[in-house]
Amino acid sequence: MLRKASIAAAALSCAAMIFPAAASADATDDYPIPNRIMRTTCTVDQYMAATRDTDPVYYERYMIDYRNRPADVQTGARNRIYWFFSLDYAGRRQYSENTATNVYYEFMATRWGNWAKLFFNNKGVVAHATDVCMNYPPSDPSVWTWTTTP
Amino acid sequence: MKRLIIGIAIAAAALGAAAPAQADVDTDFTNELHTYGIYGQKDFNAWIAKITCKRLNKGVDHTAADSAKFIHDQLVLDSTTQQAYQFLGAGLRLYCPDKLPILTQAAQPS
Repeated sequence: MLRKASIAAAALSCAAMIFPAAASADATDDYPIPNRIMRTTCTVDQYMAATRDTDPVYYERYMIDYRNRPADVQTGARNRIYWFFSLDYAGRRQYSENTATNVYYEFMATRWGNWAKLFFNNKGVVAHATDVCMNYPPSDPSVWTWTTTP
Repeated sequence: MKRLIIGIAIAAAALGAAAPAQADVDTDFTNELHTYGIYGQKDFNAWIAKITCKRLNKGVDHTAADSAKFIHDQLVLDSTTQQAYQFLGAGLRLYCPDKLPILTQAAQPS
């Protein structure tokens, strides 16, 4: 009896292995884009100025990477992140879903894999910066030229 | 043959008389920080010092107090204000001595 049951169980688990549920790659409220960046009311410039102060090495790395990209990629990345910040929460959440479920959805990523690293990739950086970003001027073009002059 | 020997001798002399290895500035900085009880990653601390200089150069920070606050925010949580200023003094001296006057400005009563 026990043997029969264990055989049945083994058969079941084999079946489970053969017919796995469809891989679920849905976005969550924190992945791939952290919740706080979807909810913040700060502008891009405010957020970047905040990271410059709260996580200076992370900001520095991103800006060095940015500077080493061709001009059209720099412009594309800049326009894309301003576009993202122009969306409301629902729009950002939908964007998060789209990038999570379709690896080709974000065309910028095909030109520069880490194009949004400062904004999406690190919850700690996002948390520090979104705590204080409202204290910075809404428009500050100098955040994009941090590494262009020594 | 003789020339070869002379050549080798010259090369050996050059090796023997080589200038003592120059310690790199990041190491000097780390060693000095240790005397203030500031530890942490060598590269991180050096980079913070360089960014401190850059912020002064770019006008993001203006005074020693601005720089000390920036540094204090990057140090481990229980660091003191004194340590932040010690970090600042060492950093300016080693990475951008032209900015040292901000320290004397801070010392003068305004």
